[in-house]
Amino acid sequence: MLTIGKLKEFGADVDTGLSRCANNEELYIRLAGITVQELSSGALGKAIEEGDLDSAFQIAHKLKGGVTNLALMPIAEPLCELTELLRNKTPGNYETLYAEVIRRTNDLSSV
Amino acid sequence: MTDNKNLFRITEERRRVLLIEDDFVCQEMMKESIGDTYDVVIAESGEEALDIIHEQHDTLSMILLDLNLPGIKGLDVLSRIKSDPEYSRLPVIVMTSDNEAEVECLSLGAMDFIPKPYPASKVILARILRTVELYEDRETLRMTERDQLTGLYNKEFFYRYAVQLDLYHKDEPTDAILFDVNHFHTYNDRYGKVRGNEILKRIANNAMSYVKESGGIVCRSGADTFMLYCRHLDDYQALLDRLSADLDDGGSGENRVRLRMGVYVNADKTVDIERRFDRAKMAADTSRDRLTDPVGFFDHSMREAEILEEQLIDDFHAAIREKQFVVYYQPKYNVKQDRPFLCSAEALVRWKHPTLGLVSPGTFIPLFEKNGLIQELDYYVWSQASSQICDWKTRLNVSLPVSVNVSRIDLYDPELMDKLLNIAKKNGLRPEDLLLEITESAYTEKTDQIVTRVKNLRECGFRIEMDDFGSGYSSLSMLSRMPIDALKLDIQFIRSAFKEQKDTRLLEAMTGLARSFGVPTIAEGVETAEQFTELKAMGCDIIQGYYFSRPLPADEFEKFFAKEYEEENLC
Repeated sequence: MLTIGKLKEFGADVDTGLSRCANNEELYIRLAGITVQELSSGALGKAIEEGDLDSAFQIAHKLKGGVTNLALMPIAEPLCELTELLRNKTPGNYETLYAEVIRRTNDLSSV
Repeated sequence: MTDNKNLFRITEERRRVLLIEDDFVCQEMMKESIGDTYDVVIAESGEEALDIIHEQHDTLSMILLDLNLPGIKGLDVLSRIKSDPEYSRLPVIVMTSDNEAEVECLSLGAMDFIPKPYPASKVILARILRTVELYEDRETLRMTERDQLTGLYNKEFFYRYAVQLDLYHKDEPTDAILFDVNHFHTYNDRYGKVRGNEILKRIANNAMSYVKESGGIVCRSGADTFMLYCRHLDDYQALLDRLSADLDDGGSGENRVRLRMGVYVNADKTVDIERRFDRAKMAADTSRDRLTDPVGFFDHSMREAEILEEQLIDDFHAAIREKQFVVYYQPKYNVKQDRPFLCSAEALVRWKHPTLGLVSPGTFIPLFEKNGLIQELDYYVWSQASSQICDWKTRLNVSLPVSVNVSRIDLYDPELMDKLLNIAKKNGLRPEDLLLEITESAYTEKTDQIVTRVKNLRECGFRIEMDDFGSGYSSLSMLSRMPIDALKLDIQFIRSAFKEQKDTRLLEAMTGLARSFGVPTIAEGVETAEQFTELKAMGCDIIQGYYFSRPLPADEFEKFFAKEYEEENLC
């Protein structure tokens, strides 16, 4: 169960994230939980694995929207990098970046 | 009990915002940010968004558009909204993390941006509130500045924009032009309002096409009236031809719709913009019904004449009250016998204006005939003349009938007879002491009604002189029905008969006509001995004019009584 304290401990910029939710803590925590679930669903990893870069970009972009708006900064960093690589279909190590995203998501879940 | 939640007031209705966004987190954040103020309608794809816009655009106040959408992309959605005239006015705010997309979105018609990640909720709400407010102001302005039928500016905004044009083009010579359709109301009556409106739209399109090409601004200022403010032109007929293009219906080639135009050339920019177009209107009025010369031009004498007319109208009642109108009398001589004798006089009004001096009746009579004030003036003259007849009777024991003018408008007054009888009674006169001069043209409209009224006057004892005979359109058959006691020849006949190329045949014919109807002929405007002699020889019965005397104030007129006494002609 996420809390404001746990999110802060994880390194989220909670004040900024909350300001985007009209300072509604309950909403902020709920949205953070939904985002963690989506990150953990494996949809992005599957698309990367299958080489479907268009789908992978769509999923990554959507996840990036939630993560950056909620200011989940530790996850935002590798996820933004991965999204830009996918947007431009720049050859790179998508799997490594994705693994980092998942690792940090797990970190948040285990705080 | 009224349900407060449903007051059926437009001010109570919440504005609706369409949020086109596929990310749940972004949707929820936006709803939290603006949901207390707006109803948020959500579309998760471009296709869904376009469906909602198609069905609900009338009730949407704005669109929030994410650029990265599944299916149709955000830029395509924006492009489709802005290219459809039905939706293009809806304001769109684009939400994107891509700064480079801003220029393209703005050029496609986006009104603002919200960056991603979002700014704080209060910042988003403030931006949206401002955008909706601007949109509604713009819509209100669009609805109020334009004429709904033609899409041209209305008069108020036209004036405002004309003033702005002046600020940017102080030294540019400009023309104020007003144009309208000759007798447009009859066109509407004949062909119906739908066709009438179609004509107005065509004229508006012609005018718009002109200003797009040549500059300037145009408006529809009234039913069928348009105003154009543009750079000074040389060829106004060419402009009129262009404005009149394609107005004929049915391809007959016959242009039944005719425009007329008034131009205030090189309009004086120190004069109010409204006054400049008043002058263009004055110029247009001069071209009414001039089918071969439909362009009129303002000159300052028009304005001076109008100002004078306004002053005379303003001063009229004070003039009546203060007896500034003075009645002069011109003698009328019976010339049937060898020696002419004074048989009556004509009362002629003069205005001794306190600041303008003596104002010519040629200036104020036509004006008062036009606006109806002549009725009050006539009554005043009848009263003054009757009082004078009474005075001469009691003081000098002279009984001299005086002719007074009865205007056409008086003849429609159901109380005319009572008024005249009361004036006569008040002054101890018999009706036959007042000779009523009624102009021939008064008989040309509603002839039966006028003839009946004049007959009634005669039956009461008033004597009727038909004034300006020959200037109207009386047919011979109508003449025989007219109840009259004398025919007074139109002064223009006398003047033209005795010009250099003397030709009195028409005068002879008219005196012969009067004789055949058994009524005496009166000639006015007789100035010379030659005119007097010839008119007398033709059989003219009564002569009036400078040959005998100019019109005189009452006291000076009395000298004629003394003269007649000497010659024992006056009773």
